[in-house]
Amino acid sequence: MSQLFRVAAMLSSVLWFAACDPVQDDAIAALGGEASGVRPGPLHRPGQPCLLCHDGAFGDPGEFSVAGTVFADRIDKQPARGATVTLKASDGTSRSFQTNAAGNFYVTPQSWQPAYPLQVSVVFQAQTVSMTSNIGRDGACASCHVDPAGPDSPGHVYATPEDAGVAP
Amino acid sequence: MSLGAFGRLSAVFAPAIVVAACALPASDARFSERLPDRDTFPEVAQVLVRHCGTLDCHGTRARNLRLYGNEGLRWAATDQPLSPPCTTADEIEQDYISVVGLEPEVMSEVVTVDGADPERLTLVRKALELEHHKGGAALHAGDDADRCLRSWLAMQTDQAACLRALPATKCFAQP
Repeated sequence: MSQLFRVAAMLSSVLWFAACDPVQDDAIAALGGEASGVRPGPLHRPGQPCLLCHDGAFGDPGEFSVAGTVFADRIDKQPARGATVTLKASDGTSRSFQTNAAGNFYVTPQSWQPAYPLQVSVVFQAQTVSMTSNIGRDGACASCHVDPAGPDSPGHVYATPEDAGVAP
Repeated sequence: MSLGAFGRLSAVFAPAIVVAACALPASDARFSERLPDRDTFPEVAQVLVRHCGTLDCHGTRARNLRLYGNEGLRWAATDQPLSPPCTTADEIEQDYISVVGLEPEVMSEVVTVDGADPERLTLVRKALELEHHKGGAALHAGDDADRCLRSWLAMQTDQAACLRALPATKCFAQP
């Protein structure tokens, strides 16, 4: 029995080291805790880089292939609930997804694993906004769309044309 | 080993060592590089920005091939993606430095033989995914973007191909 414990302890150590990525751990820690009153789930952490945790790694929450948040406007950053996010993959396939009450949308690899690069457009309240540049390889919108906007970020994804027009 | 044998071996190797030492470059010698054209680079830079320079790929400071441009990473601290709308002259200059600085000796060899065998360059191999590239194939052999890059390496930039490889909204500073 003690031998079994030793083997289990050794295996768990190996798994812990294999799963350890200090850079990713720091990035996740920098996101902070859950917002007050919001439980982990489809409505949590709007505007954060979903695939940091939803990466399919052992012990992490369910994997996403693409995921992000659409905000209605730059001023008060209300979620764009019910926006339609259309992703067009380089192999010609495309899929559309609806944002939820938090403005979040997510795609699981079981439902679709798109071929990069991707082109994206958002329809919200009968207005269409298309992203100017392609998504090269990262399925998390907020890996690039970080607030505040600066030389390496256009800011969050906004559904209003005058704001979202600056999104790369 | 007898002393006589040692002496014979020394006699054989000593001249070889002397010749090898004399064949080494002088300590003040410098590599004379021949780099691709800077004047026709703006079109090439914009093609690279479009195909390789998104913020999640080479439009980030963490990469060896670091590309600045209007659609991605901006050079000026006060700029943002698409604001100002066009790739600036400073960004094109930074892109040139980045591209030619990856493998300057190999690039010089490629340019010296009029762009022959550009696949010697990691830049080309990665772009075409001839070797592992996390971003997949950013260019495809024979397409306009590929011709643009190859022609630039051959010092005969096919500017028409470069422009065809860009969207209608192409926007970059000219020298």
